[in-house]
Amino acid sequence: MFYDITLYVALTIFGVGLMYKISGWFRFSIDMQNRVISTPAASGIGTAVKGILATLFSPKFLILIRVFVKDVLVQMRIFNEDILRWLMHMLIFTGFMFLLITHALGKIIVTPLFDRYYLALNPFLLVAGTMVLSGIAIAGYRRLVLKVARLKTSAMDYYVLIIIAIIILSGMAMELTKLTSYEYHQKIWYIHVFACLFGLAYLPFSKMLHMFTTPLSLLANAVMDKQSDPGNIQIRQMMELDACTRCGTCSNRCSVAVAFDRIGNEYILPSERMAFLKDYYADKTISTKGLEAIQQGIYLCTNCDRCTVACPAGINLRELWFNVREEMIQRGHFVDLMLTPFSYFRGLNINEFDSEQYDKPLASVRKKITEPYKLLHRSDDIIPLTSANQKFKDTAGLTDRSGTYAYCFTCENCSTVCPVVGNYEDPQKNLDLLPHQIMRSMGFGIRDLAMGSRMLWYCLTCYQCQEHCPQSVKVTDILYELKNLSVTYNSGKQQ
Amino acid sequence: MKFTLFIGCNIPVRVQQYELSARAVSEKLGIEVADNREFKCCGNPIRNTDHQTFILMAARNLALAEKQGLNMMVLCKCCFGSLKKVAHLMEQNPLIQEEVNAELAKENLCYTGKVEIKHFLSILYHDIGIKVLKETITRPFKKLNIATHYGCHALRPSDVTKFDNPVAPVLFDELVKVTGAKSIDWPLKLECCGAPMLGVMDTLSMDLTEKKLASGLKAGADYLCVACPYCQMQFDRVQEMMPPHLERSRGLSSIVYPQLLGLAMGLSNDKLGMSRNILDISNIESFLE
Repeated sequence: MFYDITLYVALTIFGVGLMYKISGWFRFSIDMQNRVISTPAASGIGTAVKGILATLFSPKFLILIRVFVKDVLVQMRIFNEDILRWLMHMLIFTGFMFLLITHALGKIIVTPLFDRYYLALNPFLLVAGTMVLSGIAIAGYRRLVLKVARLKTSAMDYYVLIIIAIIILSGMAMELTKLTSYEYHQKIWYIHVFACLFGLAYLPFSKMLHMFTTPLSLLANAVMDKQSDPGNIQIRQMMELDACTRCGTCSNRCSVAVAFDRIGNEYILPSERMAFLKDYYADKTISTKGLEAIQQGIYLCTNCDRCTVACPAGINLRELWFNVREEMIQRGHFVDLMLTPFSYFRGLNINEFDSEQYDKPLASVRKKITEPYKLLHRSDDIIPLTSANQKFKDTAGLTDRSGTYAYCFTCENCSTVCPVVGNYEDPQKNLDLLPHQIMRSMGFGIRDLAMGSRMLWYCLTCYQCQEHCPQSVKVTDILYELKNLSVTYNSGKQQ
Repeated sequence: MKFTLFIGCNIPVRVQQYELSARAVSEKLGIEVADNREFKCCGNPIRNTDHQTFILMAARNLALAEKQGLNMMVLCKCCFGSLKKVAHLMEQNPLIQEEVNAELAKENLCYTGKVEIKHFLSILYHDIGIKVLKETITRPFKKLNIATHYGCHALRPSDVTKFDNPVAPVLFDELVKVTGAKSIDWPLKLECCGAPMLGVMDTLSMDLTEKKLASGLKAGADYLCVACPYCQMQFDRVQEMMPPHLERSRGLSSIVYPQLLGLAMGLSNDKLGMSRNILDISNIESFLE
């Protein structure tokens, strides 16, 4: 009686929880208003089912079978990444699956097939149990002893390992006490059943949901491409957030993960971003500070696609970042990284955006980064040359010999060879001060003039100026340095 | 002769023909190429805003190569410039070296300056040599006019990169001549391709690209030749994207150098990734002898 009631309660919570989770894939979506072809709003279960059926009855079905065997059952993606990790996952996966089919669902699946299945001491159960436990031991070893680089451990990761350990240990204890002590056997039964049913009821809300979503992501991504129904892509992207187990493969492969070691913003790591996005898309509220952090994290990306190639869940991170990045930028605020080569990929895809929406964030960043330097915009002012800002002059020193600006005798060679200056009929109107004027402003220690010119942010860093300076002024290096200073100045770290 | 290949972020996803052809040509020339999948971004994109992180990112790659005990073969000129710059900074300034190595020590890495950073073109020119290259040419080009595009970060700042003479370089032209093609003189040979401003100030970026294309066409070039993924993307994909008012100079496609060399060596189109260019360059084969 007790067993039946708890079983049905657990099953109900599991069922409702699963439906709730799945409904989220249809309820939430990435904001695509800024695109040339914006997504049709009414994409729902209908289009998803249509897409799935169309795939099942097409040659793509063969691809699904291949991916199911290779990536879902044998898990080659994990194998290619790390053999120890593959061993860990395989031990847990095969052991657990065996127990699930022959033991938990034994009455439904096994007994009808083998009628003398019941054994006094079932060695298979013990072997499978040992396999799962060894897997968990390896997992613990990786997280606690090896401390795999950029693998973050959250409470959820501990929960999963502990609940599985309790289920297996109590089950094995039951099996071993069956013949020796019926009393203990009965007591342990309660622990075992409770742990199993708790795990079941909580499954949709825990990392364990990945046993459904990860195969789904692998299969969906094997047959979907850019030409797929945009509505279905949106649904898939929401589903992918649930398919991520935060295993850290992407963060480990990530081209710019090194920047995290220095900057410390954890949203630079793709796996941490995924964890954030799961919460974000449930209600879309975010603090200003949080937004700034996620904007920096998601913009600090060279679009090298390594995360997408390596993801064991087959998540199409490339497309996810592309869409989420745009949504985040469009929410406003200040991403100084937009004025760096990190924008190259966005530029390559310029034709996918509504042109006004494309320009808006760039224009606002440009304005914000030059705005604090008021002097530049008061051309009638007389600038007192005597009060050179020595403190500002002393800040220059990031690169080698940046003090060389003092040797500038304004021959204008740098501005003459500059291809950016050469591109404009009236360069000062478009760029404010030109390279030689910026060097002189440094010499005078006039911060506003040196740091406020748009020239800084239009610099190609082609080094023509520096190469052609007869005085060996490190013009390009100094421009780099002024950009750095301007960013720190803007973020209020330095006066 | 063995190098560790620094492939960078763009080539494996957007300029695969460069990787394919560079590997094919290296194989033909007996250059052994090792991979290191721990290599990450060279740091170039973050240089505008965070110099310290830039140094760390580049230095980590140098330390990895040092651990591997191999010199670096770099395909991208922006990567090349970054790595060279940071190696130079660390060599000049023991304080920086100390600070960076303290950070790298967390991963059991250390850079002491033992790695030679070489661009792919330098390896062909200096380590293989024009004479040996000549012997591998089986079907030279005839009457093909090539406009060489040197790429900024290899050439300048010359005191750091030491690639070639910064105002009158010959290295790339010599390499083109080996294939039987003519390396033409053109005014904007040493100028920037425009890529650094794409996504930042797109009109400026495309204006600069358009000027280069127009200059090359006017000088009678049949093709542009580059050895950097950014330059290639700019002349290939971005040229394709250019808005109508800039289209007047369309028609000068770009080929990456190892494709050009590989064709003259008689390597197959597949091996050279000829179909991966966005603008069709198959017509260049009609210039082969």
